[in-house]
Amino acid sequence: MTASPRRAEAGDRPLLAALAGLTLVAFLASLAVGYVRLDLVAALDDAIHGRDSLAALALVELRLPRAALGAAVGFSLGLAGAATQGLLRNPLADPGVVGVSGGAAFGAVVAFYSGLAAALPLALPLGGVAGAAVAAIALYALSGRGAGTMTLILAGVTINSFAGALTALALNLSPNPYAATEIMFWLMGSLADRSLPHLYLAGPLTLVGWALMLSAAPALDALSLGEDTAQSLGFDLRRLRARLIAGSALAVGAAVAVSGAIGFVGLVVPHLLRPLVGHRPGRLLLMSGFGGAIALLVADVAARLIPVHPELKLGVITALIGAPFLFGLIDRMRREG
Amino acid sequence: MFSDATRRARVATRPLIGRASRATFRHNGGRGGRTAARLCALALAALASVSSPALAKPHRIVSLNQCADELILRLADRDAIASVTWLSQDPREANMAAAAAGLPANDGLAEQALAYKPDLVLVGAFTDPATVALLRRVGAPVVELDVPETLDGVRRQIRAVAAAVGEPARGEALVAELDRRLAAVEALVDASRPPLRAIVLRPGGFTVGPGSLIDEIMRRAGMINLAARLDVGAYPQLPLETLVMLDADVAIVDDEGFAAPALAEQALAHPVLAALSRRITFAPLPSRLWTCPGPALADAARVLAEAGEATRRARAEK
Amino acid sequence: MRIELADAVVRFGERKALDGVDCAVRAGAMVALVGPNGAGKTTLLRALADLQPLQAGEARYDGKRARELPRGELARRVAYLAQGGEAHWPLRVDHLVALGRLPHRRPFAGLSAADRAAVEAALAAADVAHLRARTLAELSGGERARVLLARALAVEAEILLADEPVAALDPAHQLAAMAVLRAAARQGAGVVVVLHDLTLAVRFCDRVIALAGGRAIADGPPAALTDAVIADAYGVEALRGEHRGEPFLVPWRAVGAGREAAGEGAGD
Repeated sequence: MTASPRRAEAGDRPLLAALAGLTLVAFLASLAVGYVRLDLVAALDDAIHGRDSLAALALVELRLPRAALGAAVGFSLGLAGAATQGLLRNPLADPGVVGVSGGAAFGAVVAFYSGLAAALPLALPLGGVAGAAVAAIALYALSGRGAGTMTLILAGVTINSFAGALTALALNLSPNPYAATEIMFWLMGSLADRSLPHLYLAGPLTLVGWALMLSAAPALDALSLGEDTAQSLGFDLRRLRARLIAGSALAVGAAVAVSGAIGFVGLVVPHLLRPLVGHRPGRLLLMSGFGGAIALLVADVAARLIPVHPELKLGVITALIGAPFLFGLIDRMRREG
Repeated sequence: MFSDATRRARVATRPLIGRASRATFRHNGGRGGRTAARLCALALAALASVSSPALAKPHRIVSLNQCADELILRLADRDAIASVTWLSQDPREANMAAAAAGLPANDGLAEQALAYKPDLVLVGAFTDPATVALLRRVGAPVVELDVPETLDGVRRQIRAVAAAVGEPARGEALVAELDRRLAAVEALVDASRPPLRAIVLRPGGFTVGPGSLIDEIMRRAGMINLAARLDVGAYPQLPLETLVMLDADVAIVDDEGFAAPALAEQALAHPVLAALSRRITFAPLPSRLWTCPGPALADAARVLAEAGEATRRARAEK
Repeated sequence: MRIELADAVVRFGERKALDGVDCAVRAGAMVALVGPNGAGKTTLLRALADLQPLQAGEARYDGKRARELPRGELARRVAYLAQGGEAHWPLRVDHLVALGRLPHRRPFAGLSAADRAAVEAALAAADVAHLRARTLAELSGGERARVLLARALAVEAEILLADEPVAALDPAHQLAAMAVLRAAARQGAGVVVVLHDLTLAVRFCDRVIALAGGRAIADGPPAALTDAVIADAYGVEALRGEHRGEPFLVPWRAVGAGREAAGEGAGD
């Protein structure tokens, strides 16, 4: 007998619980892995009782922000990928591929190297948000309203190239001699030696971004039937677009400002999870958030375990997995016509 | 300044990041460096000893290297110097900035050097090989300075440069000055006490590996370089976690402190370091003091020794 | 619910898709909207659904403008079935039909018992209940059209506006779908359906509106579709007849020029 609608609905809850549970496991793994042997239990005990031990210091000031940011940045990238794919109705959209991350990196670089972020710390994530918003608006202007895959990819390539070039230019113009060599961080991303202040700066903006994107879930479901039908079901399309562009700019912009641009998470994770939620774009949002958090935490653990010195950038790891994946995806789309 | 980084890279004595001390790299297995330095010094010394009075002192000396600048400013007559690098005119970066003021500045480029029709060109180990090759091809008299790894190497280099500029007596005087100041530092340090555990912090989390000049100076100041215990290898970059758990007594902060921000400098501003300051003494040491061979090395040792004394006093009080 | 369109004008560039059309639709009646390609049928339907901005004239819903209605009320009371049957992701049939309940669902709530009942009724009415676990990609064109019709039925709206819902269906399913729509109208809903098949129009509907060139050239009971009107609109002569009290109307022969908009594509 075929499943009734009621059973199909409840089928999502186990998946959500599993993903949330795995996220917690990955978070704990990220806390447990590092460059020195840390007795986590002792360190936690010290930290809770306010004892000023080196282990507690390393746990609270170094490992905790790294793990928390890994989860938050991964969640943002997975969620933004699913949201962008839902809005553009194209499975190849991802903040990295379409240039939103690149724009965010440029905005953050301008805010940081101009000294603005030194004067006003919040300028750093806001710079990222501004860069991401400009890129998202440009993308939508170039390829929104049901434009085909080719237009979308071309728009993304254009925006990425331009943003990357501007970022390199800004870094070269900085009077600080270290600046020009730091481009790898901005274009490939890393969570090494991040601090609690980074978490506090990026956190609130990403939370607002998540709320905006998650609230669009029913509208994205309706949008799978086309713009007219979605509108007839009571959804204001202009507001939907504004909400999704603002939400992804906030979440991705703030994340990139503290971690650099990390690509492919928003592409691979929604793609893998989509069949598990019956291809419904609305349900995919929250799942992709957790999936992205898991993916990035695992990549960050790998970055610390792989015995390469200096530490591998996170974007390198995600690209080594994600680029062949994208290749296969495009090939399959081409064959299906 | 526009493409400041590139200008700096041409004339600086060490690459900014990466193999922060090529001396470390050589110590860990690279050949050629020390042997070459010895041969070069020997050759020059031999040259100096056999030179007849008919060979005049060079009087159009061009330096394309920051450390060579400092040496020729100390050793040669000012009117024998045709050009020094622009770095040596920045008081934050150079010990002899006052002396260098007013001299024509170069960016480390071969064509600039040749424009002065030099009779002696001094380059460093990290000067662009293409520049050096070009100079040699047109027959300019080039002397290449390596990066000394020991104080003996420093003394040899001072004497070699002195010989090259035709002022051997001044070279001896400079070495004597260096030794005098070092002896003064040694008096400060009580060698019977166990050395303080120290680590050098550079922007970007870089440190200094074992077997380098800085390592030796730390020892003279009564400190032991903890990086020697770690397998830092050719790329001595420490994750902050490793730094925290080292449980060092002193952290030597080697930072020139630029006005414009960079991520590398942020590593030195991480909140965990502020939290550590309760247990570690942070000793700021301007890197110009120990970048180049010269009497300033002894000043660096003095700064460290004094920081060490302050640390010991603070601990005794606790 | 009563929808009134007064003197509506819609322009796409130079061309007038609707040129001063008056139209009133209310619950309980089934209306057929016929006319040649490019006559403005889709545009009129979209205007009734508040999906098409008007350059002149206005649409009123129970006397009020759309923006004066409370949020979501129009979505709950007017359902729209678009032409062409676009469904972007390969959704399961039951999930897709359940999308019709979105106007009724509270935020963060799952499907209520009423929602589930409506979905079941819609699946049964469109004869797609046996396909509920399949995905759209696995279905034939006809099956897909019925699933989309079920989605529109699931809204349980007072007025259902359907744009060529039977075009892709085989005869058996065409008749079944028209029967479903008529049953909905008998139960109190208002149904406006764009049709190309004149027999279906006169046989199942209480009222026929014929559009040509952006104007309504006939509006009344099926008898209003006279030979003159058909010739004017389509440029064809039709055979009329009756079988057991139900009329049929079959286009037979071209005669003179019809009023098909030449090569102007969208706007129908």
